[in-house]
Amino acid sequence: MSDFLLTQIINYGAPVLGMIVFIGALGVPFPGTLLIVAAGAFARQGLLAWHTTGLIALTFVVVGDSLSYGMGHFAREAVLRRFQASQNWAKAESTFARWGGMAVFWTRFLITGIAVPVNLIAGTSGFGIRRFFLYDLAGEAIWIFGYGGLGYLFGMQWEVVGELLGNVSGLALGFVLLGLGIWLGVRQWRIVEARKTNVPEA
Amino acid sequence: MSPKIQRILVFGLITAGVLLAVFFGLRAAFAFHEFRRHSLHPFAPMEARNNQPVETDVELIRDWMTIPYIARTYRVPPEILFEALRLSPSKSLSEKSLKQLNDEYFPQAEGFVITTVKAAIVEFQAQAFPTATPSSPAVSPAP
Repeated sequence: MSDFLLTQIINYGAPVLGMIVFIGALGVPFPGTLLIVAAGAFARQGLLAWHTTGLIALTFVVVGDSLSYGMGHFAREAVLRRFQASQNWAKAESTFARWGGMAVFWTRFLITGIAVPVNLIAGTSGFGIRRFFLYDLAGEAIWIFGYGGLGYLFGMQWEVVGELLGNVSGLALGFVLLGLGIWLGVRQWRIVEARKTNVPEA
Repeated sequence: MSPKIQRILVFGLITAGVLLAVFFGLRAAFAFHEFRRHSLHPFAPMEARNNQPVETDVELIRDWMTIPYIARTYRVPPEILFEALRLSPSKSLSEKSLKQLNDEYFPQAEGFVITTVKAAIVEFQAQAFPTATPSSPAVSPAP
């Protein structure tokens, strides 16, 4: 898949890269990070103009993210009908309202594997569109210009850089899941312990 | 959520987290090793990087590249590369990757196009840029 997409980028340039990151933002698993790093290297070779390519890719990816946020937003009614009465839902909503900005920001360029689920959750949980847009724009700008800049800096060595970044992203996702599991486990253990101490001895 | 489901969720998250961390951690370590082995220092002055000699490492050529892209990267006229493949240059051929060219025109000889292109570049660069040392020996094209 990446081979085919790379050929299309060198043939047709920024619009193809824009379409790829747009479709990727809607949930199709394209190797976006690798292609952005490659685009940086192509800019170094003079094949792409770094500023227009960067701006086109940034615009397309933010529109794609906003659409997947929109999908979550329109699914909100149905989700609320199902979970509104649940205490857990209210807790999840308030947690996302508090930490959602950071979740949106970091999943744009570091933990990219869960970017689309985060967009959907943001839309469903009623996270404000303006806040979403700002965090999204900041994170995606780092992804496009930061990672693209690394490709530019390392030129023909971009494959190694892209592979390293892709693996670091997977590693970060592993740490997040592990941390979440440990946090939930400790919380559950504390609740059980608290219940034990509150039960009066017979 | 029942305590049983919570326990399954915690176990699942920790297991998935450990598996992902180990898998990608090993791959990241290997990629970092490759990165250090291959790359220039990331903070080398741009002038030094821009004044590098012509790209000569033909081992960086990949199947997804097109003839015009390779010609530009290695500063070889595209006609030379098409000629080496015994193909007439055209817009449609210029947009095909090396793999597509191989599959369409030389289906019996796997890897023929990439090997021939590498050999043509090494030969051209040896004549055109005698000071540029090819980083890979000339490769004989497959029959």
